[in-house]
Amino acid sequence: MKKYILIFLLLISFNYSFSDQIHKTESGFPSKPIKIIVYTSPGGLIDITTRKFTEIAAKYSDATFVVENKPGAGGIVALKKVLSQPADGYTLFACTKSNISKFVSTGGTAYITALDWLAMLMADPECVITNRKMDISDWDEIVKDAREKKGGQIWVGPDTGGLDHVTSIKIWEQFDFKSKWIPYKSGGKALAALLGKQGQAYVGNPREVLGNPDLKIAAVSSETRLEQFPDVPTFKELGSNELSNEYMWRGFAIKKGVPNEILNWYSELFQKVNNDPNWRIFWEKGGIEVVYYGPETFEEIINSDTKFFQHYLEKIGIIKTDSDNVLANLGTGKEFALLVLLFLLINLIVGFLVYNSRNRKLLSRILIITFFLSLSILFYILSFVFPESDVVGPSVVPRLWIFLLIPLNILLLIKTLTNKNKVEEPGGNVNKVLKYILFLIVYLVGIYFLGYYISSFAFIFVSMYILGYRKYGTMLIISFGWIVFSYLIFYKTLYVPLPIGRIIEILF
Amino acid sequence: MEILSHLVEGFGVIGGFIPILIIMLGVIMGIIAGAMPGLSPSMGVALLVPFTYTMSPTLALILLVSIYIAANYGGSITAVTINAPGTPASVVTAFDGYPLTKKGKPGIGLGVSLISSTVGGFIGTLILIFFSAPLAKVALKFHPAEYFALAIFGLTTVASLGGKNWIKAFIAAIFGLLINTIGIDPISGVSRFTFGISFLYDGFALIPALIGLFALSEIFKQLEEGGHKAKAKVDLSSNWPTIRDYLKLKFTIIRSSIIGTIIGILPGAGATIASFISYDATKRLSKNPEDFGKGEVRGVAAAEAANSSSVGGALVPLLTLGIPGSATTAVLIGALMIHDLTPGPRLFVSNPGLVYGLFASLLVANVVLLVFGLFGSRLWIKVTNIPKKILFPLIFAVSIIGSFAVQNSFFDIISCLAFGVFGWILRRNKYPVAPIILGMVLGNIAETNFRRAVMMGGYDVFFTRPASLILLILGLVSLIFAFIKSNKNPKINKMKGAK
Repeated sequence: MKKYILIFLLLISFNYSFSDQIHKTESGFPSKPIKIIVYTSPGGLIDITTRKFTEIAAKYSDATFVVENKPGAGGIVALKKVLSQPADGYTLFACTKSNISKFVSTGGTAYITALDWLAMLMADPECVITNRKMDISDWDEIVKDAREKKGGQIWVGPDTGGLDHVTSIKIWEQFDFKSKWIPYKSGGKALAALLGKQGQAYVGNPREVLGNPDLKIAAVSSETRLEQFPDVPTFKELGSNELSNEYMWRGFAIKKGVPNEILNWYSELFQKVNNDPNWRIFWEKGGIEVVYYGPETFEEIINSDTKFFQHYLEKIGIIKTDSDNVLANLGTGKEFALLVLLFLLINLIVGFLVYNSRNRKLLSRILIITFFLSLSILFYILSFVFPESDVVGPSVVPRLWIFLLIPLNILLLIKTLTNKNKVEEPGGNVNKVLKYILFLIVYLVGIYFLGYYISSFAFIFVSMYILGYRKYGTMLIISFGWIVFSYLIFYKTLYVPLPIGRIIEILF
Repeated sequence: MEILSHLVEGFGVIGGFIPILIIMLGVIMGIIAGAMPGLSPSMGVALLVPFTYTMSPTLALILLVSIYIAANYGGSITAVTINAPGTPASVVTAFDGYPLTKKGKPGIGLGVSLISSTVGGFIGTLILIFFSAPLAKVALKFHPAEYFALAIFGLTTVASLGGKNWIKAFIAAIFGLLINTIGIDPISGVSRFTFGISFLYDGFALIPALIGLFALSEIFKQLEEGGHKAKAKVDLSSNWPTIRDYLKLKFTIIRSSIIGTIIGILPGAGATIASFISYDATKRLSKNPEDFGKGEVRGVAAAEAANSSSVGGALVPLLTLGIPGSATTAVLIGALMIHDLTPGPRLFVSNPGLVYGLFASLLVANVVLLVFGLFGSRLWIKVTNIPKKILFPLIFAVSIIGSFAVQNSFFDIISCLAFGVFGWILRRNKYPVAPIILGMVLGNIAETNFRRAVMMGGYDVFFTRPASLILLILGLVSLIFAFIKSNKNPKINKMKGAK
């Protein structure tokens, strides 16, 4: 009898351990690996979030997750990748609040409505960090100092128009002062400036003070004090009611149009991961709040974030309000096409004139000079599109380079024309190179349509043939060896998603 | 000394079979990543980070720094043998390394680059271990005005790089600076010259440009000259530097290592600038500067010692302040975070084993690199003997996959090819292409710091801060000197303009 009870218990526990698994949907989702697109390089916080997620998710589902890094343009490149895939639920977008800022400033709301916002999994309150070693490090002193300096106080942080920047503008508004925002390439470099006493305050994440005892959180924008930092006052305590809910979130989105059944499958998975003790411990130790907001609440948060960024980005001048400015179209519109046409025309005319003159042998030399000159002029004209700024604006430095490039080229042109007898036109088999370049272009087109492996095999093989190599056995081994090498090293070890080609993607 | 006893503990941490194996693995992977045009040290480390997520934090860190060190050396292999610098910093190594190969002496270039790399790496690590705290304090004092002045000082190296072709060299450098302004303006957040193409929001990536300008243009050039038909005849058995040859380079290596470490410490500067500046310093101090660019071993030694020692420097702000000093250390911070560790001064207290284990592994990795390099050099030198008909297609294949791997972007492959064609046209018209890379590396540093400095303290800040003023004067003086030396009819006004 005991034996049967034991077996019974075993069966129950067996059953129990499996009941935790999320089963496939009725239509059999997922039947292939799920790709998660991350908009930063490996090592970024969202990358770590995603990889930790896949690790925990593996406990609850037998789906395979593949993380793909698509860095660039603050998430626009990753977003375009997600939107280029079919809405079949196999491509997730790992996103953060920073993306909303970028989407609002580049594509407007079109980017935001193209996605279903599945789940928000984490939230870190924004905080003001100061340097203990400086005379002023408490919030009240910062405010007092800022009002005294009347705009001369310096705040440092990453990324103009990003969450930290926009949050600090909101903080200034609430406390009725204005400081200077000096942006750095990354939060780390801005923190270095704070430690070097070049700025008075930094806006970021509470976790950023953990490594260095000189850093101190002056105020935090959460509803109540943080557990890890019980001495840090909230903005609410300091007198502002509007700053108790400023936080950076991380979560997942998916292209619009995925069947409900699959959305529910994800919803269940996200909740399971959110409740997992390992997941919670891992993040909470680092001072990150683990949350779960499902599609409906998340959507609301996104809507309010969108309005938030629209309001402040207009204020900073990143979103242009006066689009009827004639120059504004120069960057992209019809006027721009005309400019480029003009650019090509100048070069063609110069080329034609020189070719039909006595200076024919100087053709390539003069064309390079006109290329640089016309490029300078083109960029100079385009630089008028940039908004003006009271201090050094975005057009100052490009124009500085242009003003150096133009006289140097004119000088070179004079030198070239006066020393023309010394010139020897580089000789050699130019046609061969041009043919080879054409062949390389064919290879690139091949990669795009037929994928990396097929095209590279063909390219290496034919390329050796073109160069005059005729040992076919060796050619086969080398071409094939390269394919194996790139598959094992780049695809398998380094997770570089080599293109499989549009045609193959459509067929399979 | 406390540090020494900690260091002994550190060696204890990495004393086992597994850590040594990990270091060896890291060094091999680093050499491959560095040698592969397209995988820069930061790329190599970044791509392998996911691989370390499941390891213990100490092993993960050991693996990543071994890769970091070896990758800085690896770049010189392809720079010397085929003029395809594997990393941006090894562009400078190619200046004299490749001419050595062309002269049939690739062994000299490879030998010198290996020894300079490992000695430089060692010196950088020692400076890191013993002087990191005071140096970090100095680095923090570096104001945007000084960063700008440093960038300008770096740009003045173009004057001596260009020699008689100085106008073309400056045009190339300024072209690099100008295309570096393409993308979202880091200060105001507006997009500049992007033409609505989202791939251009971050500007042209450096690595595809580097591969195109060097590796591809070199092959185009050789195809034009019929180089693919020529059979390389290099005597592989002889032509290695002797101990005496190495000893002659001792001052060059030590000086360049110190320059490299110091520049490596400054957050945002880095290996590439360090190589350019120490190459320039070595050339200026030399009795026969005209030999540089034609296969002068001191040039190779200066470049390699500087870029390898910058690794130790870059780790200074990471460990003492918790701030990444380079792209690679930024990746290291991410790697530490997934293991629940926050880099910074507290790490010395909370995880001394990890920190000193890291120091010990840096020293060991340099030794391992030396051993592998010595054996390996006999292997890489054979690259120069592969028939060009096989080698060229493979270089194209590597270039294309390498450009793609930078951001998994097809656009980068296209830009690599475009830079290749452009570089070929420029080179056949006697424009040096290295200044373009220098311009692309320095452009962002120069511009953002210029604007930050002015926003913080107005235009006169560059002249009222002593360090910035000294750097600017040094730059001006070096320009004038380079100029008087290279040109009988100096157009100094023009050169001042270039500043």
